[in-house]
Amino acid sequence: MNNKIEKLAYDWITSESDKVDIMSNYYCETRDIFQARLEKMKIALSKNEKLSKNRFLLSAIIGEIGNNSFDHNLGNWPNVMGIFFGYEMLDNKCVIILADRGLGILKTLQRVKPELNNHKDALSIAFTKTISSRYPERRGNGLKFVKNSIEDKKMNLVFKSGNAEININKIFKIKDAAKNLNGCLAIIKF
Amino acid sequence: MRIELKKFGNMLISRPAGREAFLVMRSSLIKEVGKNELIEINFDGVEVLTPSWADEVITKLAEKFKNVKLLNTENESVQATLKTLREYSGLKI
Repeated sequence: MNNKIEKLAYDWITSESDKVDIMSNYYCETRDIFQARLEKMKIALSKNEKLSKNRFLLSAIIGEIGNNSFDHNLGNWPNVMGIFFGYEMLDNKCVIILADRGLGILKTLQRVKPELNNHKDALSIAFTKTISSRYPERRGNGLKFVKNSIEDKKMNLVFKSGNAEININKIFKIKDAAKNLNGCLAIIKF
Repeated sequence: MRIELKKFGNMLISRPAGREAFLVMRSSLIKEVGKNELIEINFDGVEVLTPSWADEVITKLAEKFKNVKLLNTENESVQATLKTLREYSGLKI
């Protein structure tokens, strides 16, 4: 499968704010646009015999990640509001990408853990600890749900924020990312 | 009484939608229901469920009422979401 969709996502998240392609069909300015396109993806998955069986759980994973972007950046978007959401299906393979130009995991978690000072620790906490940037509201379960579901279904997830990235592919790994990214980028393959 | 979640849609995903759903339930569906009454939450027809939506609805219902039963939870995303809530949100049903 080619990396066209990944390049589009990288271009979208790294462009200068006045050069972001907001006319793209992959751009979801608001939650309701995202939900409509997610519904469309679920329908597309249902037409592929192999991919169809995972379409509900996959839609939940994508829905959780995408809505988290809106939750954590509401009223605080640094520049371009909304998310990039794209997917490609070829034969029995699928790649789905979500990206936001938001605050990123570290800044959101620093609201409740001011002592956090690096992206790797922030990502580790987000995926493995019960913590919410909007404490005392009970939140912060979304990425645990994502992690557990990806592992259960033997899918692959790369999640990047700042200069750190998570890779879940049978086992959970966290490392420095090659490039620094403002916001978050998630790539799911199966 | 029985709450049919499919009446809120078949993709129950965002936290704001969950919050709105619970406000509707509180103001109409469960307004007159005593805390000891049996509450059945029926997931039939729900295709996609996330922890964000469910935390605003299922967890709150479970806190408000003592006798809550879940029906038709076979869907994979429902199963995964309930597992997450039990592990991280203190859901006990």
